[in-house]
Formats: sequence, structure tokens, C-alpha cells
Amino acid sequence: MSTQDAIGDEERKKIKYHFDRHAPDYRERFEDITHEMHAKCPIAWTDTHGGHWVAAGNREVFELAARSAEFLSNDHDVNNERRGYQGISIPAPARGKGRRGGFLEMDPPEQRYYRQALNPYLSPAAISRWIPWIDELVRACIDDRIESGRIDFVEDLVNIVPAAFTLAMMGIPIKDWTVYCEPAHAAIYTPLDSPDIERVGQLHMQMGMELFKQFAHIKENPRPGLVNALINADINGQKAPDMELMGVLGLLIGGGFDTTTALSSHAIEWLSENPAERERLSRERDTLLDSATEEFLRFYTPAVGDGRTISADCEVAGVRFKEGDRLWLSWAMANRDPAVFEEPDQVKMDREGNRHASFGLGIHRCIGSNVARTLFKRMILQVLDRMPDYVCDPEGTVHYDTISVINGMRYLPATFTPGPRLGPGLEETLGKLQKVCDEQRLAEPVTVRKKRAEIAG
Amino acid sequence: MKVKVDQALCQGHTLCAMKAPDVFELDDVDGHSSPVSPEVPAGLESQVVSAVRSCPERAISVEGTA
Repeated sequence: MSTQDAIGDEERKKIKYHFDRHAPDYRERFEDITHEMHAKCPIAWTDTHGGHWVAAGNREVFELAARSAEFLSNDHDVNNERRGYQGISIPAPARGKGRRGGFLEMDPPEQRYYRQALNPYLSPAAISRWIPWIDELVRACIDDRIESGRIDFVEDLVNIVPAAFTLAMMGIPIKDWTVYCEPAHAAIYTPLDSPDIERVGQLHMQMGMELFKQFAHIKENPRPGLVNALINADINGQKAPDMELMGVLGLLIGGGFDTTTALSSHAIEWLSENPAERERLSRERDTLLDSATEEFLRFYTPAVGDGRTISADCEVAGVRFKEGDRLWLSWAMANRDPAVFEEPDQVKMDREGNRHASFGLGIHRCIGSNVARTLFKRMILQVLDRMPDYVCDPEGTVHYDTISVINGMRYLPATFTPGPRLGPGLEETLGKLQKVCDEQRLAEPVTVRKKRAEIAG
Repeated sequence: MKVKVDQALCQGHTLCAMKAPDVFELDDVDGHSSPVSPEVPAGLESQVVSAVRSCPERAISVEGTA
């Protein structure tokens, strides 16, 4: 770097803010930090984690993510074959070394081929076919607790439903959900300096091995689902290498499990703290459930942000970026910007104009967004119907230590007036749902099968 | 009122179809939105305005008020 460049660099990074979302107090200070950045520096340079930009303002995040695709790269160039970019995590996690995080760490056109292969399994029309199947799964989870008057919403409901459903869509036996569940969540909530990190790493490795076994099995014995779609995907006239596909499968599990758990548990907790609003949501569900869902998505932003690399010198939202700069797009902070959201720190279930960024913006919009919304709504409805008076126990509630990646929850115990069972428990129901899935070929893409799932009494 | 969805900008967030289900249809394969007809049926204008204001990608535009 020449002296002139160095001066130019100092000049362009003159708006600085010390930002460290991995810090233990970021969760507690999230609103203060957000307010301060919105007021003083909607885009700032931070020297933390190797130095990177942080976009916090709604307009700034929008201009970058939705309108500047030609200047942003998601590429994670693990073998240093292109420009050595580091993908979407800041800092790049040690665990992810040597593997791309699927198409979320790719740029078009490559990224587009993968999405085109998976879209017909994940579109609104594709997901709505599963609703009776999902309802039956939720019913069984609730039935296992309903007579006792006690539930841990995370462990007994909102961990299980996304896990089993994600596996069903993939074409992996749903009874194996426990193999994936703990490692998928623990890999997110365990801080890198925790004494438990080694055990979690081991669990994660075992999960990866099991996943590879399933992948190899489906390759030999094709069965419908996302795994099969990827094996057969046409990636610019070629089949994808196994290593890339394992990265994609990891992305589907990482994206499918922890995020919906995070959204649902926070909404359930908020509704416990606001029982009048809970009654209103139940009463006015036909008109309120959609907007309430979007509001919980906005307010609790499960995936708090994503990293990018600037791929060409550019000026966006008044900032001069240089090729190679790292950038953090904070969906969570963009979602609290008073310039776009009136009283942004309040949950308003009937909020209008809720153009939140919780599924990201631009070409990388969360491909599972329709899964997340549908699972959330189907779980909330049965909770409202079957345990309308539940009270969460703040003493036993455990939020993630940090909100560096996912704004999640580990435990959410609650009590409620016991009620009668409606059917068999989870274990028996998983067997039945597997049969339904196989016999009705539910995991086929919507282009092949349009009919809704049928669950016999 | 006339309504347009910019196909280069739509990313399939589906909020428009929640706000105005009779005006926007979502593609079966990728969930991207397009208006059923460029002409907004009488009485649905306020739903469409609400959809415009909800679109995360700012991909929807309208002409005229009624």
C-alpha cells in the first residue's frame, strides 16, 4: 500500500465504531448499540475481527444487500482458487475451514443453479402441501406434555418440529432427528472459548459423518427429497462434487433447525409476558397471524446478520468501499431503524409496512423462508388452542449467551392447565409420519406432486 | 390503479400476497410474485398500497390511485 493509499484508507474509514457482536455483553446492549449506530454512524468501520464495515441503518443495509449485488460477494474460497474471500462469517470460523457453507457462500451464476434445483421443494406451494403432516407432528409433541401441565417449549416442541420436518424434506429418516438436533443447535450457541467446544465439535463431526452416510445411501438408492435434488442438480451442465453438496446439506440443516427454533421460542415467551395480546392473537388469528408472524420475525431477527466481501471498488450510501473489504450486514439492526419502523423497539402484531430484512435482502433471500413461516404458524396455533393459559418460567429460561449468529434460546419451561390427549405420542407418530411421507411421496418437488398430504385418523 | 412487480427485483418474500392475495400470485416453483392483472380490481387499492409498503425489495410500483 502506498502512502497515498494509506491516507485514503484512513480517510474512508474515518467513521469508526467499536463493534463486536461476539462480545458477551452484546445481547444485553443490543438496543443501545443499535440506537447509537443509527444516530451516529449507520455504516461504520470497526477494527474488531480483522477489521470490517458494519451496516446498521435500514437504508444502508438495503442499498448494499438489495441494490449492490455487483459489488458484493458471498464467496468462501476455501482452496484459494479465486480471490481468497472468506464467506459470510466474520471472523471465518475455525470449524468451517476447508468447507464452503453451500450456496450461501457462493456467487451467481453458481449459486443460482443450486437454488433453482431446490426452489420447487421450498416454494409456498410446495410447503403448503405438508400442512396436515406438520399439524400431526405438532399435535404429537403437545400430546406428550398435555396431561402433565408442564412443557419446555424449546426441548419438547420448537426443537423437534423444525428438525423432523427438515429431515423429511431432505429424504432422511425422521426418527434420526436426535442425531442432528443437539449438534445443530450447540454448534451455534457454544462460544468458541467454551470448555464444551471440543465435545460440541465431536458431536458436529459425528453428525457430518451420519449425514454423509445418508447422502451416500440416497445416491445408491434414490428417494425423493432435497438430497436427491442436489445429487441430480444440473450445475452449469455438470454434477456438483460431493464436497460441495455436503456443504449445502450442512447449510440446510443449519438454516432449517436453529432459526425457526429461535423465532418460535421468542414469540412464545413474548406472548406469555403479554397475555392480553396472546388472547387477541388467538381471537383475531384470521387477520392477525400473518402480520404478527412478520413482526416477531422483525423484532427477534433470528439470523442477526451476514458477512460479505466487497468485490469491486464502489461507493454506496456515501461510503467508499475497496475491493477485498469485509462487511457485516446487520439484518437485526436494520430491522430496528426508526426511519422505517415507527416505535421500532415495540412489538406491534398489526404493524403495517413491515419490510423487515429477517430473511436477508437480494439474491440470497433465505430459501427456507416459507418453511420457517409455515412451521411457526402451525406451532403457534396449536399452542394457542391447547394451552391458552401457559406461563413461561423466567427462572428456567435460558437464552443464548451471545447473539453473534442466531438470537436463540436453549430452554423455555412453562406450566399450563393440563388437557386431554388427542392421539399417540411422538415416537409412534414419527413412525406413522414416515410412512405417510414415503407412501405419498411427499418429498417430491411441487413440479412432480401437487397434492396435499393426507393423514388418516 | 395499475400495479407492477419488477421481476429483476422480486426475490419471493411473499409479503405482497399476504396483504393482497387476490392481486398478486406467487409462482409455484420459486414463489416470485406477479400481478394477476396489471389493473387493480376496484376496492383492493388499499391492500395494494399495503403490499407496496411491505415489500422488502421495494419491487412493487403503482400508478394512479383508483
